[in-house]
Amino acid sequence: MEGFTYHNIFDTKGVEYLAIIAFFAILIPFWIILNRQVRATKQLQRKLGILTASMLKIPQGIFFSTNHMWTHLDSKGIAKVGADDLLLHLTGEVKFSKLRKPGEIVQKEDMLAVVSHNGKQLRIVTPISGEIIAVNALLQQNPEMLNDDPYQKGWMYKIKPSRWIAETSKCYIAEEATGWSVKELERFKDFLATSVQRYAPEPTNVILQDGGELIDQPLSALPEDVWKDFEHSFLGTKPKYPHFRGLEKSGYGPEYYQ
Amino acid sequence: MNFDRRNFFKTVCVAGATLAVGSSFGAAKPEENAIEFQGVLYDSTRCLGCRACERVCAKAHKQPEPKDELKAGVIRKTSEKQRSVINNYVTSKGEVFVKKQCMHCNEPACAAACLTQAMYKTKEGPVIWRGKKCMGCRYCMVSCPFDVPKFEYHSANPKIEKCDMCYDRIKAGKIPACAEACPGDALSFGTRRELIAEARKRIFENPKDYVDQIWGEQVAGGTGWLYLSSAPFNEVGFNTRLQNSSYPELSKGFLYTVPSVFVLLPPLLLGIHEATKNRNHSNDDENE
Amino acid sequence: MKMNKQAQTMAKDNDGGSILKFILSELKPKGRLLSPFNIIAIPVILLGIVLVVIRFMYGIGSITNLTQDTPWGLWIGFDVVTGVAFAGGAYVLTFMVYVLKMEKYRSIVRVTVLNGFLAYLFYAGALLLDLGRPWNVINPIIGNSFGTSSVLFLVAWHFLLYMIAELIEFSPAIAEWLGTRRARKILSGLTMGAVIFGITLSTLHQSGLGALFLMAKDKIHPLWYSEFIPIMFLVSSVFAGLSMVIFEGSISHKVFFNQISEKNHRAQSGILQGLAKICAGAMFAYFFLQLLVFIHSKNWDLINTPLGYWFLFEMIGFVLVPMLLYLYSYRTRNIFMIRLAAIMTMLGIILNRLNISVIGFKWDAPVHYYPSWMEIVVTLTVIFTEILIFRWVINRMPVLRDSPAWVEDKH
Repeated sequence: MEGFTYHNIFDTKGVEYLAIIAFFAILIPFWIILNRQVRATKQLQRKLGILTASMLKIPQGIFFSTNHMWTHLDSKGIAKVGADDLLLHLTGEVKFSKLRKPGEIVQKEDMLAVVSHNGKQLRIVTPISGEIIAVNALLQQNPEMLNDDPYQKGWMYKIKPSRWIAETSKCYIAEEATGWSVKELERFKDFLATSVQRYAPEPTNVILQDGGELIDQPLSALPEDVWKDFEHSFLGTKPKYPHFRGLEKSGYGPEYYQ
Repeated sequence: MNFDRRNFFKTVCVAGATLAVGSSFGAAKPEENAIEFQGVLYDSTRCLGCRACERVCAKAHKQPEPKDELKAGVIRKTSEKQRSVINNYVTSKGEVFVKKQCMHCNEPACAAACLTQAMYKTKEGPVIWRGKKCMGCRYCMVSCPFDVPKFEYHSANPKIEKCDMCYDRIKAGKIPACAEACPGDALSFGTRRELIAEARKRIFENPKDYVDQIWGEQVAGGTGWLYLSSAPFNEVGFNTRLQNSSYPELSKGFLYTVPSVFVLLPPLLLGIHEATKNRNHSNDDENE
Repeated sequence: MKMNKQAQTMAKDNDGGSILKFILSELKPKGRLLSPFNIIAIPVILLGIVLVVIRFMYGIGSITNLTQDTPWGLWIGFDVVTGVAFAGGAYVLTFMVYVLKMEKYRSIVRVTVLNGFLAYLFYAGALLLDLGRPWNVINPIIGNSFGTSSVLFLVAWHFLLYMIAELIEFSPAIAEWLGTRRARKILSGLTMGAVIFGITLSTLHQSGLGALFLMAKDKIHPLWYSEFIPIMFLVSSVFAGLSMVIFEGSISHKVFFNQISEKNHRAQSGILQGLAKICAGAMFAYFFLQLLVFIHSKNWDLINTPLGYWFLFEMIGFVLVPMLLYLYSYRTRNIFMIRLAAIMTMLGIILNRLNISVIGFKWDAPVHYYPSWMEIVVTLTVIFTEILIFRWVINRMPVLRDSPAWVEDKH
């Protein structure tokens, strides 16, 4: 640019602005297409037995803890406690063992029972502290009732709570619970992706359909390692003796001290 | 569906805009490099202060003839009624006459500033004002480092007045009115290349008569109107603190960033929107 | 200017009735004709109209003090450059509410977008008055010609597009007012796109207003000129806009008291505190940016001049001090102090914008520019007219008051 002939440093500006307009024109359909994959019809899901949030029963007047246990105070001041529908849909049908007895005092997040499915175990913890008043006897006889009617006939324990208000203030209820369940399903899918890769690297089409949706009872087909991982990473159940975490496989874990 | 209609509409708009804009820069590729800038060399040592240039300029552009007297040290400026002015400067080398008008920069700030291309740098060199396009925003006045464009503040249909190097005459094969009228041969019209060579020659042959600088060779990226002077240029009314690169370069940085922001910011915002989509229910710790 | 006849002036949306009839009935004035504001505003507006007629008959110079050295004065420096900075609350708030999902501020988004839209509308209008040949303003729009090398071209186009984006953002309120449910649904779907487009445009034209002055390097006082002016303008538009939201929100809250729901009343102090926090943070960043630029430009010997003191006055008195005031009032939950800080911040912005465009522009010119009383009157006319329209809209459309019952999603 010696300064003897015409030279315009902005001569491509016009084309650039046109390119920007074109960019916006293309961005809109691009964005729509990018997001379209995620939607699928709910009826189809129901027919195929795919697990979605809309399938879950979430009664509105019940407190849900982050460990996926529910609790409900009756008019006499006694709280019923049980496992929520989401948890049961994830595990499938289970048997019970190591149930507590009436009269025992429990603190929040103490173990209440061990549920198992084909030898794979999961510890269930209590969402509230208090004294155990009763155990649901029907559970031992008809364990499938837990899955069928988890909030009414499928209650697990009756507990007289010692710190009801403080402990339920951190629980979810009503519309919050619904929104939370939806998010927990998403979180479970993420958890499953990492856990399965670590412990069960075989093809995962048994767990996830093509559209990225879960089949019902996804944990039932997975190995014990995934169950343990589920208990600790997903449910967040703290082992009673955290320094013994590594010993669990050897059998010297918390169960040893029960 | 909404999708298709929107897309169709946008395509039509793009096509239409391309047609509208395309003509303005599809045109000039091949001959562009062949046309060299024309300019004027003003040699103040040859200027007699007769002000014939002022009178001829006023006549050629239908402006009132300047009636005031030339007084030493009294500096007049161009105005909306006078495109060119001769001043008598009192300098360390005595009285020096200097003519002032538009500098016709190689990369004019006014032309870069004009949002309707009313201020326009022609291929031949002169910077002209095209009145039909002008909306009177006066951004050219804000941007010009030499404060050249003058505005008719008291007109209902105001013009911008400044020297246009008699562009119409140049197109018709003639030379600017002032150059033609000057009796002292102070104004020379030619290509910028020739004029700079001529100016250098004069300085070389008469080093005592001239300050060793051609004002306009580099200032503001180079101008079409070149000056030779016997006194230092800051003594004859020039602002020697002006930069030597062109003024449009100063806003180049910003304008070059604009398309990038247009392309990067929407996806960024869409991304944040997606990431915060499920935030609605869980965060109620904002109330204090 | 309280609304005395409450039953008559309590706004109702159209519910299934004919739209035309509804609009005609809404055109009737509500409230007293001779309220205190009206008594001041209407004479000023009438005088302003007369002045504008004179301006068109005899040229801009007949009512302004503009000179060949200072072609831009109060109308550009204040109405356009400062006014647009104050309208920046719209893009900041829509970013916070629609992109970052900060639900806390949702209740004030609509009124801020309305304010932003009216601000741009009226300041673009004020700009037309400042143009020498306003009828040629369509030239850069239709292509006669596109001056793409010009920052002003960019700014002008952005103003136009941004007004459209804001109108789209605000249109669900209009649809609710007119009772057109389907239109409201379609317009709500466009909101996200309009918001993203609006934020992008705002970023560019807020900084673009600063970039306008980049070519005037030798004409603006070195303490205010730097290549960083665009970024300064952008950052300061954040807290300028939010301070205006605080200021105007405080006034609207009192004036339109009976329209605001109980929930929104209680939420107000929380909102003000949140905004104060953001302003304090933005001003902190801005102050240090100015410091950095000051060090970089090596102009410290200019501090010991009259304009140097003026610079310090602006920076310390009207950036640092209100920033500290925001910090203090946020920590102590002092609503009065927040409002005071907002006013000081706004004064600081006015100072800054005027310093660059008018006071510091050609500061060494032999004749200093100062606005004529007529320029001030016209400016006031523009502002008062805008307030009148604002009041008209607030008294009718669901902006401050809750939306009609048939609206499902909150917008």
